Amino acid sequence: MLKSDSDPVLDDAALARRVAQATPGTDREAEAELYRRLAPRVRLYGLRHLRSEASAADLMQQVLLMTLERLRAGAVREPERLASFVLGMCRMVVLDLRRGHARRERLLETYGETLMPEEAPPPSPDRARLMGCLERLSERERTVLVMTFYDDMPAGALARELGLSPANVRVIRHRGLERLRACVTGETS
Amino acid sequence: MSPSPCTAPIELGTLVAYWLGELDAESESRTEEHLLGCDACSKRLGELVALADGVRTLARAGGAHAVVTDAFVRRLIEQGVHVREYRVPRNGSVNCTVAPEDDIVIARLEAPLGDVKRLDMVEIDFEGRGLARAEDIPFRADSDGVVVTPRIDQLRALPASTTRMRLLAVDARGERVIGEYTFNHTPYGTTR
Repeated sequence: MLKSDSDPVLDDAALARRVAQATPGTDREAEAELYRRLAPRVRLYGLRHLRSEASAADLMQQVLLMTLERLRAGAVREPERLASFVLGMCRMVVLDLRRGHARRERLLETYGETLMPEEAPPPSPDRARLMGCLERLSERERTVLVMTFYDDMPAGALARELGLSPANVRVIRHRGLERLRACVTGETS
Repeated sequence: MSPSPCTAPIELGTLVAYWLGELDAESESRTEEHLLGCDACSKRLGELVALADGVRTLARAGGAHAVVTDAFVRRLIEQGVHVREYRVPRNGSVNCTVAPEDDIVIARLEAPLGDVKRLDMVEIDFEGRGLARAEDIPFRADSDGVVVTPRIDQLRALPASTTRMRLLAVDARGERVIGEYTFNHTPYGTTR
């Protein structure tokens, strides 16, 4: 991460313009900073749509390389709308990855996990603390959070299973999640 | 060189709804564009995803005591989780244990719940006195009971012992016993 004495605020658009205006590949500092910022955001997009760390890592690499390539080539017309440009790239690559899923599965069967890119594991809450914090929730909050996050189940489907209304599930989920977060991060004792 | 601060943070409820695919297409697109351009909100989503992952991992390893549903248990089994199940009749008992290969233990407490408004579950001693009470547990009135998954680490630590549970229906008039359930636990590989 770039740091200066005053650590000036530089938004993504300013970084994108620096990359676009430099001789291609010469402003390594701006490119590295842009990569550092965009990588975790694109990874989350990938996890949301592909539900797989390996696929999210693939998406992240492809989208960021294509983005930097387009910036270097001056092909991003509105750097101030970089997020929109990256979103378009993400959507396109997700479609490609889904099409290539079967081929990828065959390769994995042939070559195993050695083909998988290395990933930094997401920061996980301390297990013992999380266990204790879950115990402190109400029964309904615990049930809703466990069943929601076990399968990433939307409120409508969970409501049908529990015999509650979707609105009720959302209220319980929100309250439980706020309390769980506060307990895990130590905001409440 | 720092990113710009967020001027319109996405609410937690919206982040959760986004993660679970509950937003309509327009809201999802707007949320994604914001997330791809915002370090602060993206970081909060990352924390939420890590928390969700932690809950999932705990649940899969029997580390979360919770009342669940039959459908949830079926999904666990389909996903390869090793589930040990005990069905306990109303006012009945069961001999139980936890094997080394078990990931999760399930207790099905049979009970008529058709007219129940609120259901409490109480651990009781041999005189019937309450030791610990779980209030307002989730249940389906059209089901034949409740499904409980205790924490497996606590079960594994139990010596040979008997635990008694009571289900209570609670309403404005007071409370009434729906059923009592006795668990005669033996550590795996031993006899009582």
